[in-house]
Amino acid sequence: MNTENKTPDDPSWFEKKSNIRLMKIGLVVFCVLLLLAQLTYKNDHAHFPEYENFFGFEAIFGFVAFVVVVFLGMGLRLIIERDEDYYDG
Amino acid sequence: MDSLKHLPPGTLMMLGALLLPILARFEKKFAAIGAVALSLISLLLFCLTPSGQFGNIELFGNQLNLVRIDSLSRIFGVIFHLAAVMASIYALHVKDTKQHIAAMIYAGGAIAAACAGDMVTLFVFWELTAVSSVVLVWAGEGRGAYKSGMRYLIIQVISGVLLLSGAIMEQADGKGLVFGSFSGGDSSIFDLSLGAQLILLAFGIKAAFPLLHNWLQDAYPQATATGTVFLSAFTTKLAIYALARGFAGTHELIWIGCAMTLFPIVFAVIENDLRRVLAYSLNNQLGFMVVGIGIGSELAINGAAAHAFCHIIYKALLFMSMGAVLHRVGTTKATELGGLHKSMPWTTGFCLIGAGSISGFPLLSGFVSKSMIISAAGEAHMFWVWIVLLIASAGVMEHSGIKIPFFAFFAHDSGKRVKEAPLNMLVAMGIAAVLCVGLGIFYWWLYALLPSEPMAHHMDSHGHEHVEAYRPYTAPHVVMQLQLLMFAVLAFVFLMQTKLYPAEKRATNLDTDWVYRRFIPTGLEGLSKAYHAVDGMWRSVAVGGIGGLIATMRKFFNENGVLSRPWATSTMAFWAAVLLGAFLLVYFT
Repeated sequence: MNTENKTPDDPSWFEKKSNIRLMKIGLVVFCVLLLLAQLTYKNDHAHFPEYENFFGFEAIFGFVAFVVVVFLGMGLRLIIERDEDYYDG
Repeated sequence: MDSLKHLPPGTLMMLGALLLPILARFEKKFAAIGAVALSLISLLLFCLTPSGQFGNIELFGNQLNLVRIDSLSRIFGVIFHLAAVMASIYALHVKDTKQHIAAMIYAGGAIAAACAGDMVTLFVFWELTAVSSVVLVWAGEGRGAYKSGMRYLIIQVISGVLLLSGAIMEQADGKGLVFGSFSGGDSSIFDLSLGAQLILLAFGIKAAFPLLHNWLQDAYPQATATGTVFLSAFTTKLAIYALARGFAGTHELIWIGCAMTLFPIVFAVIENDLRRVLAYSLNNQLGFMVVGIGIGSELAINGAAAHAFCHIIYKALLFMSMGAVLHRVGTTKATELGGLHKSMPWTTGFCLIGAGSISGFPLLSGFVSKSMIISAAGEAHMFWVWIVLLIASAGVMEHSGIKIPFFAFFAHDSGKRVKEAPLNMLVAMGIAAVLCVGLGIFYWWLYALLPSEPMAHHMDSHGHEHVEAYRPYTAPHVVMQLQLLMFAVLAFVFLMQTKLYPAEKRATNLDTDWVYRRFIPTGLEGLSKAYHAVDGMWRSVAVGGIGGLIATMRKFFNENGVLSRPWATSTMAFWAAVLLGAFLLVYFT
């Protein structure tokens, strides 16, 4: 395998604005499809049916949990953040 | 050949490691090749070793059992060997022979510990892994690595001392030295004997329980690019094995595990060093396993063992991809990286497979193992545990699924133009990636290795319980998991779009290591200053007193002093007569 450095300087597929837009649209479409997929089956094996069979439960849960974790991180930064050389000084 | 089974598995690696310097004398790279060969031959030997108890010897009247291979030690022995093979291929380019020696002793020690049948053998190899692995931390660059390694070593040795103390107390209580279950499969920490509690604490330190965890995030990012890959595989998973063996069904472990899955994900959000993010992520993954061990049902223990197996591979893969970045770019700080997918496309691809596996995407390994633990929490009707594990799953998606690959390989172009990772690194990452995909698709291979066949229990609408073989790929399970993960990705895109996602920052984030790196040293410094102040005051008072005394003596005893001037003999005779008179008076009255 050739491991020489031949990195191109022009934007790659992932860096082109139109492709980023395309990926975002794809993501939203996929998420909608996932929600709809929940209507195609009946889940008899749920341990907590009132939650697991609630339409879009895990979707809402995933979105909210992600946002909360990130915000908690920002809050934590206020408490524990120090200079990079804190321990070296 | 047959008598080889009486030696602890991994012995070949430990003894062979001592021969590596001789190989290195011919050609530096022979030591590295030797390490790969040792790992492969040891793996072969381990597969040929039958299950059972071997190496029963008597030492000072105690019965030791050097080798016990049952279904639990088998799965850990296999994965430890696989990790050693992958990591030693990954380290093939390393010229520093001492790292190869340390890595082989470390891996061999962990394998031997996972197959130890008694507490003394366990202790010996437990400590050996501590002492050998610190070399990999010390091999890292700079004084930071040396100091961090020192802290790591102290904490690891404390764990060993606690283990030995606990084992001695158990032996003195007449419970023998056999390494079996201390909890009986269902108990509380408070019902355990003091000896068993000490042993649990020893395991807890190595498993990075909350508040005992920080050696992990402190030391692992300081090790070399290759060293961290070895470190990530053995120490903590050996502790998970030991917990599963000794403390399955200990109730408090459920909540300890829940705490472990949660707090690291918040720290990981703001950490800039991506290898430290992975160390927090490792801590979070251990939490899932500890929850499984705490629940203690058959499905939960199977889940913990399966998750340890998959986790070692995808975590090694992630550390390898970040190690490749460190090797080429010289740093893994998110603030310095970005856009590397153009320079390192293969590494990017492998990292994405690792990230997908750890997040639990269907068709990848994490999905078929983590789901068992979450299902076990559901079967036990532990609603809040189930909720915590779902939050933790979304958290994993944040730091390992998105943050690691995104900030290293995509985000904005950092302008770094480097070569793709060396071939040996790519091969090692390739093997790990193939295993991640393979285990995700052909999951029954993994399930066949588990302590018992995983079974699922569920109630039908009439309240009848059904038991059937556990199947990870059911429509509800796949759809629900994908909903959780893809909406988490959606949340990320939303936060980036609205500029609410916190930018990476160069900073030190405090954790519990602050207590022993700052608070205690500063406190001791303060105490020492106060002591010196008080001590100095007393000393000056004492010196003043002595000085005064000397001056007084001088005054009385100098040539003109009252007590040193010449006296007349008559005065002497007079006082002698007075004394005699007084004596007579006292004597006769």
